[in-house]
Amino acid sequence: MEPSQGEAQQEGLIEFYGSFREMFEFFCKNTTIHGTIRLVCSGSNRMKTAFWTLLLLASFGMLYWQFGLMFRQFWAYPVVLTMSMHSEPKMFPAVTVCNLHPYRFELVSEHLEQLDRMAAESITFLYGINASAWLFRVNASKIHGNNRKIHGNNEKTRDKDRKIHENDRKIRIKDRKIHIKDRKIHFNTRKIRRSDRKIQERDRKIQERDRKIQESNRKIHAQALAKLNSSSFKLSHNFSLLRVSDLRAGRKHSSVGFRLCNSTGGNCFYKTFSSGMDAILEWYRFHYMNIMSQLPAIINISQHEEPIEDVVYSCQYNGEPCRPSDYDHFHHPVFGSCYTLNSKGTDPFWTATKPGIPYGLSLILRAEQKEHIPLLSTAAGVKVMIHSHNQTPFLEHEGFHIRPGIATTIGIQQDEVNRLGGNYGKCTTNGAGVAVELLYNSSYTLQACLHSCFQRWMLRECGCGYSRYPLPAGRARHCDYGAHPAWGHCFYQLYRRLRSHRLDCFQQCPKPCRESLYKVSAGTAKWPSAKSQDWVLQALRHQNGYNSSSSRKELAKVSIFYRQLRSQALNEAPLLSENLLLSSMGSQWSLWFGSSVLSVLEVLELLADALVLALLCCFRRLRARERPPAPESSGERQEEPREGQQGARGSGMGLPQHPELELEGFQSSRELGQE
Amino acid sequence: MRWYCLNTNTHGCRRIVVSRGRLRRLLWILLTLSAVGLILWQCAELLMNYYSASVSVTVQFQKLPFPAVTICNINPYKYSAMKEYLSELDKETKKALETFYGFSEGKSKVRRSVDDWNSTGSDFFQQIPLLKVEDFPRTATDLHSGQKRKIEGSVFHKDSSIVNSGDSNDIIGFQLCDANNSSECALYTFSSGVNAIQEWYKLHYMNIMAQIPLETKEKLSYSAEDLILTCFFDGLSCDKRHFTRFHHPLHGNCYTFNSGENGTILSTSTGGSEYGLQVVLYIDEADYNPFLVTSTGAKIIVHDQNEYPFIEDIGTEIETAAATSIGMHFTQSRKLSKPYSDCTETGDDIPVENLYNKSYSLQICLHSCFQKAMVDSCGCAQYAQPLPAGAEYCNYKKNPNWMYCYYRLHEKFVKEQLGCQQICKDACSFKEWALTTSIAQWPSIVSEDWMLRVLSWDKGQKLNKKLNKTDLANLMVFYKDLNERFISENPANTLVILLSNFGGQLGLWMSCSVVCVIEIVEVFFIDSLSIVMRRQWQKAKKWWNGRQRRSSGKAPQASDVERQGHDNPVCIDEDLPTFTTALRLPLPQDSPLPRTPPPNYSTLRLETAFAEQLPDTLELGQH
Repeated sequence: MEPSQGEAQQEGLIEFYGSFREMFEFFCKNTTIHGTIRLVCSGSNRMKTAFWTLLLLASFGMLYWQFGLMFRQFWAYPVVLTMSMHSEPKMFPAVTVCNLHPYRFELVSEHLEQLDRMAAESITFLYGINASAWLFRVNASKIHGNNRKIHGNNEKTRDKDRKIHENDRKIRIKDRKIHIKDRKIHFNTRKIRRSDRKIQERDRKIQERDRKIQESNRKIHAQALAKLNSSSFKLSHNFSLLRVSDLRAGRKHSSVGFRLCNSTGGNCFYKTFSSGMDAILEWYRFHYMNIMSQLPAIINISQHEEPIEDVVYSCQYNGEPCRPSDYDHFHHPVFGSCYTLNSKGTDPFWTATKPGIPYGLSLILRAEQKEHIPLLSTAAGVKVMIHSHNQTPFLEHEGFHIRPGIATTIGIQQDEVNRLGGNYGKCTTNGAGVAVELLYNSSYTLQACLHSCFQRWMLRECGCGYSRYPLPAGRARHCDYGAHPAWGHCFYQLYRRLRSHRLDCFQQCPKPCRESLYKVSAGTAKWPSAKSQDWVLQALRHQNGYNSSSSRKELAKVSIFYRQLRSQALNEAPLLSENLLLSSMGSQWSLWFGSSVLSVLEVLELLADALVLALLCCFRRLRARERPPAPESSGERQEEPREGQQGARGSGMGLPQHPELELEGFQSSRELGQE
Repeated sequence: MRWYCLNTNTHGCRRIVVSRGRLRRLLWILLTLSAVGLILWQCAELLMNYYSASVSVTVQFQKLPFPAVTICNINPYKYSAMKEYLSELDKETKKALETFYGFSEGKSKVRRSVDDWNSTGSDFFQQIPLLKVEDFPRTATDLHSGQKRKIEGSVFHKDSSIVNSGDSNDIIGFQLCDANNSSECALYTFSSGVNAIQEWYKLHYMNIMAQIPLETKEKLSYSAEDLILTCFFDGLSCDKRHFTRFHHPLHGNCYTFNSGENGTILSTSTGGSEYGLQVVLYIDEADYNPFLVTSTGAKIIVHDQNEYPFIEDIGTEIETAAATSIGMHFTQSRKLSKPYSDCTETGDDIPVENLYNKSYSLQICLHSCFQKAMVDSCGCAQYAQPLPAGAEYCNYKKNPNWMYCYYRLHEKFVKEQLGCQQICKDACSFKEWALTTSIAQWPSIVSEDWMLRVLSWDKGQKLNKKLNKTDLANLMVFYKDLNERFISENPANTLVILLSNFGGQLGLWMSCSVVCVIEIVEVFFIDSLSIVMRRQWQKAKKWWNGRQRRSSGKAPQASDVERQGHDNPVCIDEDLPTFTTALRLPLPQDSPLPRTPPPNYSTLRLETAFAEQLPDTLELGQH
């Protein structure tokens, strides 16, 4: 209660009301909430008070019902998809080209040969001798001079094999005739396999010897490495292909598969396929992965690198030869040598200025059907994938094949998806906030995250990493059944769990907030045409200095171009932004109450005042009990209620404004008097 | 001010005045100001979001008009008919091939130009010879006795290519020189000899073709009977009358099905491959130009009737000896123009003349823009695009310099130095047919025999030999379904919504309306102005009175009254200062005066209260 300096008016810093009554009257007089005036100030007329209470409560109810609806909608974070068209020039996407010829690394070449032989044996066992003959022929052409001895042995082995097969067939015929139970057949089969294995054992011994001879021929460095690897690793014969037959729907179905068991030999299951081809491919791949995991983590690719000229004969973009900037080379164990053009998307050379074939990328590719590894991939041609920059190309998921002898024109059209993220849905910008550590050092994609997540599970459950996916830093190793005999069992179990969404990978990997999708449509034409074939082939042959009789079927032409530079962008936008929420709240408030946030503050002030007043009263009463009350405060208190009563009496006459008027008049006059 | 605060509808302000205690008052001032701030902020945000568009996607099922389908043979002109024009060029090309790839392995170390200067009288090679460049940076300066400087050498540099040619270590290219200034040359090399020879051939080919009149060219190309063997549409047979000829500079005679030229646009009754367009094309592979085109087949493009078919840019290729079925899905899009996005409705506002007499598209604009620049700077028009008025196609008989000029210009265009990309805008509405292609082998082995026999009989006596299956292509174009997807942008905010949002913001924070905004303007601008005026006036009056004490002092008084009467509409404003002055005066009798009600929500009433108040406050003023 200090006196003010400038004004004549004497006013405290905070003045408190004398009594509750005064306080309420002040509030009632000055409040901006509709209805309260009528309610409090209509005083004695009980009908009116009741009426106004009802009205007030009803509008209050309406207001908060509406608020409730609005907030429920807001907190559901609804989004609307908006679509927009952009037509600004943009970068050409990254293009990855693979030649489908995995390289035979020298370190593991003898394992691969062995595997081929094993595959041949399996095929012989399953489908008879004629089916596997081609594979032997292939092998024979591949195996070095040293290996001829083995081949001779192979002949012997094959003879024995044939005999065994004869046995097998007899047994099967018997089976068909006498209808012995399947189990017995299995028993027999296993017997045969056992003898088969013995032969293979012998075979391996011969190979061991042979390998030694081979190794002596090799350089010392490679030899050391090979020894290191081959000494610890042997191809396992525990996973051999079997014919499994079961009785289903009254008919006997036979399927081909192989058996996987856990480390103690229990919990076995058959990985079976209805088609033998699938089974063989899968089986081959399984073994192949085991072999490939023998390769040291950092393979000196440059040593094995096929120069890009061997795959790409001609590369033109926008009518100019491609520039070497921004091109990546990597080796995919299944798809062979892969080249990514424009991988980073930073060179302005690759900006797309016009739509159309002449302004796109045009490649002439070699699609020679060299029989590198015959059982790995059965398709011939070239694998192409169009993807965003800085993204690991997952060719097995999104790549498509290009036929040899054909000019393929691929028109692309870009679509963009932008997600809001935050409360509006889970998404991540460049992997931030994702629980899974990304194993690929490229930008975040859902696929990369899933692979990383799966690899983490592999390491946790099986103790080793799946050899298709990269390893995290540390002492983790890729799986092979030399070190982890049960990893196949573990892997297939885990994979099944992933597929049925029982691993948390799909929860942990959010979608990226910004995605570019490329819609692809293709047209094909015969290339080179009969008339131009001669000179085109001659020119290419001369250019690349190789003199094999290349034919039309060993070339493929690919043109990739933007069909249109317009791109559709799908953007998420909040349906109800905070801005709009506040606006509609204000509208509702105004509609039902005619009040505002400030009115609420008024009420708050009233409550605070009431609290303070109550405290003061208590304090005074306490003091009054102790000693006689202070004269000036009591006088003031007496004065105020009188005035209040006057006002209240005046207001009883119907017009509710009257008391306020009078009071205001009084107040202002008092203030004026103070002046 | 005080009067305003007591009587206004705006919340907060009244509290400032009414509250007891300075802290309370300060608090209310702060609260009110922050509420005002919030209103301004939110309204600004609303305004900024005003020009956003929402998109509606409607899928309609209706009878869809069938689009125009333009079909071209990849080979533009019959090679046998073109012999007389191209024999020189072909001879040179063959010679070049022989020297480069034939039996010249031993001499590959020696760089030479294939140009045989004295043996032929042809001017092709003298003009632009094919070169074999061994080591670019060094030999480039050697050639033609050091005349040449590398200009775009860095761009077309051999080392810049990913694909280096193999061990023979030489690349083929050609050199273009400025005829006016022979020291200005550009060497163009290619990553593969195939590309180099094709590009070089095309260059000369265009020169030759530019000299042949259009009628002759149409005769040299394929007729409708040549190209189309059978035709089916919507389950009914159709013939060449349904096709319109369209001459494309690079693809010869193309035929447009359902071009809408005779005023009717066909439509299909249902979707599915049975009810679309089915044609069997005859592609005479034996009559192909071996150097110009290297692939065999046809090219088709699906477009709107008044769109130009850019077959060379976005045509889809069709394979021979195969049945290609193309399923279409129709999408129509519409964008909002000016304030929402930068697009053009008709193309009239683009300062580029449309050279194609078809409706505007970005592609047309870019091509027209380039052609215009070409005519401006090189003096002749490029062969692949239509002619502007008064120009003619380039050929090096008349414009020996055009090729160099063209390549320089094209490079500028790609680098966006011509400004075409800036001038040309996207069209606001466009139709699009999304195509899905699938290929099957055709005819099948069992049906091949009879089918080929029947087709060759149909073809008639004109053809002596029996048809081969590699000369045929089967094409089906059909709607996958008759759903039309219509994507249109609509303004997300209308004025009504914007205003109601403004109202909401004002109401939320201050329970204020437009009227109260007007009040604020009135009080804070007009009234404060008038107070200042009055003060000034009173000062002036005092000064006047002091000076004119002797003379008549009545004049100012009268003028004051006059003015009040004169500014009748502002009378309400005028009363405020009087009221404030009245407040300032110590008037104890003020209390019984009828006062305006406090928050009064009908503005009419407020004004009546004003009116009531008016006389006595005026009186007070006079008093």
